Amino acid sequence: MPGGTTGASPMSTAHRSPSSAAPAHRPVYVGDDRALLDVAEGIAADWAALGVRGSFLARDLGTGEQLGFDIEEPTPLASVVKVPLALVVLDRIAHGDLDPAHPVTVDPGTSSVGPTGLAAFRYPATVAVGDLLALMLSVSDNAAADALLGLVPVADVDARLRAWGCDGIRMRHRMNHLYECAAGAAGNDFSLALELAVRDEGAGRHTIETLDPAHANAGSATALVGLLERVWCDGIAGPGATAELRRLMGLQVFTQRLASELRTDTLRWSGKTGTFLHLRHEIGVVEAESGERVAIAALTRAGRRAGLAPDIDLAIGVAGREAFEALRK
Amino acid sequence: MDLLAHLEAYVATADEASFSRAADRLGIAQPLLSRRIKTLEEHFGGSLFDRSRRQIVTTELGLLLLPYARDVLDRAQRLRQVARSARRSRVCAVGVPADCAPAALARALRAGTEHGITLGMRELPPLERASGLADGSLGYALVRDPPEGAAFRVPLGLASAPVPEGSGGGAAERAVHLEELRPRRGRAAGPAAPPPLLLLTEDQVPYFEERLYRAAARAGLPESRIRPAGPAATALAETLAGSALLLCTEPFARQHGAHWRPLADPALHRGYDVSAARGRDSAGAVPGWLATLLASAVDATSARHGGPGAGAGTEDARARLAARG
Repeated sequence: MPGGTTGASPMSTAHRSPSSAAPAHRPVYVGDDRALLDVAEGIAADWAALGVRGSFLARDLGTGEQLGFDIEEPTPLASVVKVPLALVVLDRIAHGDLDPAHPVTVDPGTSSVGPTGLAAFRYPATVAVGDLLALMLSVSDNAAADALLGLVPVADVDARLRAWGCDGIRMRHRMNHLYECAAGAAGNDFSLALELAVRDEGAGRHTIETLDPAHANAGSATALVGLLERVWCDGIAGPGATAELRRLMGLQVFTQRLASELRTDTLRWSGKTGTFLHLRHEIGVVEAESGERVAIAALTRAGRRAGLAPDIDLAIGVAGREAFEALRK
Repeated sequence: MDLLAHLEAYVATADEASFSRAADRLGIAQPLLSRRIKTLEEHFGGSLFDRSRRQIVTTELGLLLLPYARDVLDRAQRLRQVARSARRSRVCAVGVPADCAPAALARALRAGTEHGITLGMRELPPLERASGLADGSLGYALVRDPPEGAAFRVPLGLASAPVPEGSGGGAAERAVHLEELRPRRGRAAGPAAPPPLLLLTEDQVPYFEERLYRAAARAGLPESRIRPAGPAATALAETLAGSALLLCTEPFARQHGAHWRPLADPALHRGYDVSAARGRDSAGAVPGWLATLLASAVDATSARHGGPGAGAGTEDARARLAARG
């Protein structure tokens, strides 16, 4: 065949396919027995078939048994970071440093960008601190989160997490910084931003700064499950703060991920999702009527250039259910 | 010494039995003719003509060599003729896709003869057709281009297993939207994996693969659903057996008895332009009759260029870029 580049056609297909791109990634599995390891391997294989990579960890809060893979990998948290943020704010309230009834006015002209809650409002609204927390955790309101960060600065949140020993979780910027960095790199073009995010995942450098775990609000599955365990077992902050955080996480309206396969009247799911470009995360705790409690963190990065991918959301949900049933015995 | 010119002088003089008439016949001056014969006599080492009489007479040596000299001149003449006719009848190679309609290609070959060009059809993958034009091994080619800018367009669709008579009903010709290919949830679906989408060599073009992968991702399909078809026969077999969907044109599917529905998105259809080799004649000059006949060989229609649709511009672009849920 003449010409240097013409032979590339069959190869280019292989390059693009996320499952065969990059040298095959071998997850590092954790599991307390053979059966749990098998479940972890099955989940990683399901995700890989959909072009998804990431971390997964499920821990039984009663027995301490756990299963998962790549649990130490720092990952940009997107809206999942609203959970530690809420805990720090609730801790301030519990200590009397902040009044939950304190009114905050959020003006659309200056507030943060987002599709829900106050971020979607077109006229100024005045909301109490306690209700900003509810908006932030129930509908993932970016404007509410950044309004709270106006009262408790980013550096203070990060310092509080250090003081609590939450070493795998870093708070480095406001929520709107995610939008600013994406728009800075891609204008207001969602497809281009997604394209850059997926491309950079293989290249190891980050055009969009908030996708770089070294500069983003970041955390690992093990650090997040550790945080959930301390919140559900009252091992962090004060009991008033943790109880309120558990209540607020139970108010989340999104059910397409971990909740999707854990929705019965006999189970209770409390969680927080995180979605940004190709990132699809959720952390939370499932509590069974029969008493078992399992904390789960699923942090994923897709190789697919799609804004909506319900099959990936469902695969995350299936992973949560399988882990829960395997740990529950 | 130009042996042929000297032999011509010798043969003409022998035929005419006169230096002046021979010089006239060859259209050269007589002194030049005489000089050539003299040189030739020195070369052969003997006289060819007896100049002592009033009329010149060919010598014994001259008569002996004459048939050989004529033979050399005849062969040189034939050599020139063959070279000339070979130049006239040189084949102009035309790069075409696989699975062209043979009858339409035959019409193009015949039309070429009528226009004084001998065409030769070469079935090649799309990237080799483009590189053939660039390196001059092809005179003309049907080149793949994005359909919205191309002169000709061929609808692409999905071939699938034949539908039993009467069960498909009127829905047979409905266009396929990629979203329909997502596996159905909620039904007691078997564990069978959703059928892969197979890509023929003709569609393994970077711009097209890029578009298809993106369209599939946006429609909720993982990229792993799309695979190169490999040999067309096995891909068709899998398709007819119901274990794959083959991306192809309607004539290709019908010819092999497969069910076929067009892709709803015209940006995923095939686009073709007929291009000429660079540097040959004036670049890009393709005879109109050739373009039309080649287009009919791939069953293409002339593209109607409409503006793109309004697009999904209504959604708040900013909110999509923010952290969500």
